Amino acid sequence: MKIIAICVVILGASLAACNSNKQQAPAAVTIENKKDTVSPGNDLKSSASATIKPVSTFPQKEILNGYLQLKNALANDNSKEAATAGNAIVSVLAKVDTLSLSQSQQKVYADLQDDAREHAEHIGANPGKLDHQREHFEMLSKDVNDLIKNFGNGGQTLYRDFCPMANDGKGASWISEVKEIKNPYMGKKMATCGSVKETFK
Amino acid sequence: MLRFEKIILALVLIFVAIQFIQPAYNRSGQVLPADFLTLYKPPENVTAILQNACYDCHSNNTVYPWYSKIQPMAWMMGKHISEGKEELNFSDFGSYTSRRQISKLKSIANQVKDEEMPLTSYKWMHKKANLSKEEKALIIDWMQHKADSLSTDN
Repeated sequence: MKIIAICVVILGASLAACNSNKQQAPAAVTIENKKDTVSPGNDLKSSASATIKPVSTFPQKEILNGYLQLKNALANDNSKEAATAGNAIVSVLAKVDTLSLSQSQQKVYADLQDDAREHAEHIGANPGKLDHQREHFEMLSKDVNDLIKNFGNGGQTLYRDFCPMANDGKGASWISEVKEIKNPYMGKKMATCGSVKETFK
Repeated sequence: MLRFEKIILALVLIFVAIQFIQPAYNRSGQVLPADFLTLYKPPENVTAILQNACYDCHSNNTVYPWYSKIQPMAWMMGKHISEGKEELNFSDFGSYTSRRQISKLKSIANQVKDEEMPLTSYKWMHKKANLSKEEKALIIDWMQHKADSLSTDN
């Protein structure tokens, strides 16, 4: 009978553990709130500096760096590195402070953020599946293209390349930091397929 | 031998006990105006495939089989359904931004093309989800065309 009792206790404990996890989050929040009320001086300072530089807080350069790293990994058929870059993009996007953006920028970014994050997540979660990563890269490239049109090129000359053979013959674009073609859809198999369609100076 | 019997008895008791812990059913019974089928009105053959092979895990209305009441099957199904809806919820498709709708349409075509969806374990128990070559081609084609037509609209 002992064994039965032990099993029932373990089962009960494991179920209880599932429930208790969720209750810890609010506690942490209240601690933070207290800290804020203790030092009102700091609070004023941080809100003041936020209003001075509203535009430059958008991490466009970091997003582009993550994307270009991803693009180069795919061009080298390196699925693992592509996943790392995908995860890097996810964490940069999570840091974006939407309140610091102008109203028109907020609108553009609101349309983009869930889509871009989802593609980056899938790329990050699927090391070893190059085809799947490239499918999401095709859609992410469209998002990044629109990001550049609204938030600039992050201070470096960029090119929009197009390969008509990619995406099952339907064609696909990507953004590159070099003029020379290095195809992220075909990889080493057909590295030079494509041409420059647009330059962002 | 006595010890062995006790272990069996314990397992049986646990099996009985977990039958009382059932996850909430995924059956809203409503069809929202944001539902994929209301929104895009696909032809009947496409609609039938979506309902038979996708809607159980990717909508707010699951058609539950008999074994769904037996634990731990119900937990496994509950997990598949919540994960499935998080990725793609046909019942709430209209709430996605148009950019995301286009991405979802493309991803549906890609997942079917890559044989990732429907899930193999789901196909074991649902014969209708075992899509023929023609049915796959139909879904892939329709989804891609829809995505292309929405892309050029913008």
